[in-house]
Amino acid sequence: MKSWITFLLPNDEYKEKRMLYFLSEGAIILMLTLIGMIIMNNYLKLDAETYLLLSIAVFLFYVSVRYTMSGIEYTDVSTERSYRKELKHIFIRTGSFVSIYILVYLIFTGVPSHKNEWIDIIGLLVCVGLVWFITSYISLKRSYKKNKELL
Amino acid sequence: MVSKMKLARIEKGLTQEQLARRVNATRQTIGLIEKGEYNPSLNLCIAIAKELSKTLDDLFWEVEL
Repeated sequence: MKSWITFLLPNDEYKEKRMLYFLSEGAIILMLTLIGMIIMNNYLKLDAETYLLLSIAVFLFYVSVRYTMSGIEYTDVSTERSYRKELKHIFIRTGSFVSIYILVYLIFTGVPSHKNEWIDIIGLLVCVGLVWFITSYISLKRSYKKNKELL
Repeated sequence: MVSKMKLARIEKGLTQEQLARRVNATRQTIGLIEKGEYNPSLNLCIAIAKELSKTLDDLFWEVEL
């Protein structure tokens, strides 16, 4: 079956099917959220940008959480050795992202002159790095558990 | 109950990973099919049957005794 969304989907048919479910569920939740927002708009006045950002966040959050919890990301991790190897990769990936981000930030915006600017950038990076690491770790753990049961 | 597909795979001397690679699937998908937790498409069933040198009946048809 051909669709413009095909390029976003994995080649494996089980993973593809699960992803389509997550995206469809996300779309229905997004529609319900939007209906809720139309009703709420009568009582709570927020600007359009907030509503739009909230809608995007709801969709992305739902799809990401479902994907992370499903244990379908690391399909080949089924032994203690491959688990440790993948965990190491996650550490390296997160570390590389944080280092590259700070480097690019320093190149394009220059070295922060105030202590508060340093706190802002480091705080943001620590939060993004932590969220990335924790979601990858949970996904790996769930995948490992699922794969072990299928051996 | 050990699935017919798992027995055929072991008989052929293949690991889940090797079979998965040959039929363009993941090891997890092969494991799920063997456990009866996922119903594969006809295309994947045919690819698996060809790789294991079996017919679809041999692998997936359930005979009541």
